[in-house]
Amino acid sequence: MRKTLWKVGLSTAAVVLLSSSAAYAQLATQNINATAVVAARGRITLTGAINFPDTDPFGNPTIDAAPLTVQALARVAPGASVSLTVQAGGNFVSGTDQIPIGNLSWSSAGAGYNATGTMSSATAQPVGNWTGPGANNGSQTYTLLNDWAYAPGNYSVTLTYTLTSP
Amino acid sequence: MLWRALLLALGVLAAPAVASGQQLNLTISPLLVTFPTTDPDTAPVLSAPPVTVQYRVRGNGNRPWLLTVQASGDLISGLSRIPASAVTWVATPAPPFRAGTMSSTQAQTLAAGNGNVNPTTTGTVTFQLTNSWTYDAGLYLQTLTFTLSTP
Amino acid sequence: MNTALVTSAVILLAVVVIEAQRGITVLLVNLPAQARLSFSTASVTFPDADPTSTPLVASVPVDLTISVRARVQTNSQVTLTVQSTDDLRSGVTVLPASLITWTVTGSGFTGGTLSRSAPQLVGRWTGSGVRVGAQNYRFENRWTHPVGIYSATLVYTLASP
Repeated sequence: MRKTLWKVGLSTAAVVLLSSSAAYAQLATQNINATAVVAARGRITLTGAINFPDTDPFGNPTIDAAPLTVQALARVAPGASVSLTVQAGGNFVSGTDQIPIGNLSWSSAGAGYNATGTMSSATAQPVGNWTGPGANNGSQTYTLLNDWAYAPGNYSVTLTYTLTSP
Repeated sequence: MLWRALLLALGVLAAPAVASGQQLNLTISPLLVTFPTTDPDTAPVLSAPPVTVQYRVRGNGNRPWLLTVQASGDLISGLSRIPASAVTWVATPAPPFRAGTMSSTQAQTLAAGNGNVNPTTTGTVTFQLTNSWTYDAGLYLQTLTFTLSTP
Repeated sequence: MNTALVTSAVILLAVVVIEAQRGITVLLVNLPAQARLSFSTASVTFPDADPTSTPLVASVPVDLTISVRARVQTNSQVTLTVQSTDDLRSGVTVLPASLITWTVTGSGFTGGTLSRSAPQLVGRWTGSGVRVGAQNYRFENRWTHPVGIYSATLVYTLASP
């Protein structure tokens, strides 16, 4: 019966192998590209109502409406100009009777808002001007001239606000 | 008479099993089989270089012979283990060689036949290891014992 | 007679010894520490949106699926971090990298805020294995952001310290 002769060789090989240590890998990396698209856009938010209650012109030559909260939101290029305007659709109208729109004026508060203005139906009137992107908050208080010459009626007019950036 | 019978029995036991028994020869090479190192995504199964099995069976008449292989334990690296059953093999020529899965608890049949195998015949065994990311890093070793017998 | 019986029994015992030959080989498997990191996409985009209606913009795709494969020494820590190479940049205009935040799904993954100055933890595990999860990035959308297309490179690092 043949005896296996490689037991000695095996022991030697095992000692050599066990004395070496396994390599230790540390790292894997990967890159991901992130892109954010910021396009030009604007939003106008008006909060409140412009109502002028009936009052005696003798004691109240002008009538103030409750303040209107105005928010002009614009996302534009750095340094770009932003302007907010308002224009009436015509005179105040009640049936066949009219009140001239020029009798309507306002005062404003807020950074960038013009202090005063008078409504027009012929041309857009400036409300505020700013530079660069941002949320521009302010308020307008409208005032109507109260005249004995007005015919009784419920008068209304549409005011259009426009936010622009060239 | 009794002394003569006992001497006769001792002579039978001491003589090489040649005249009345089988003669078996087995050679395994190489001594060390090294699996290549590749990550599991690239190679889900690792194949080692082939192991050469040279065997010879004489004086066996028409009786069966059996070649088995068994691991001495799981593949071990310090405290880490890879189950012996993660090792499989394919072998040629088939038959008498056959594929199988390693075990550390029970010898597995590598080849089987009947009668004699003469002259020395060579088989080739390729061991394969399931490659997994769940294995710990390390240098794993284990001994495989091949046994040629005539049960 | 008895002597013959004893002789026969001894000879019989001698011939039932099973013949066997043995050979040995040693299996060696060297498994070095390895790691592989893969993502479902190479880029994420935050589309333009109205900051009033969408103050946090989700990325496209919504899920950044991450597959972490690591083979390390037993019980070693495995960490995944991310760091921006710079703030978000569009020409000379810059937005802070910290405008980008993320939430996660998947065991071991962690939410956080992007930084250009230090790697931020995305996940932590123990031992070898495959871990799959997802990041959901959000971009803080403000009216004060100047117009532009901003980009940054996010560097993910898988390590076993």
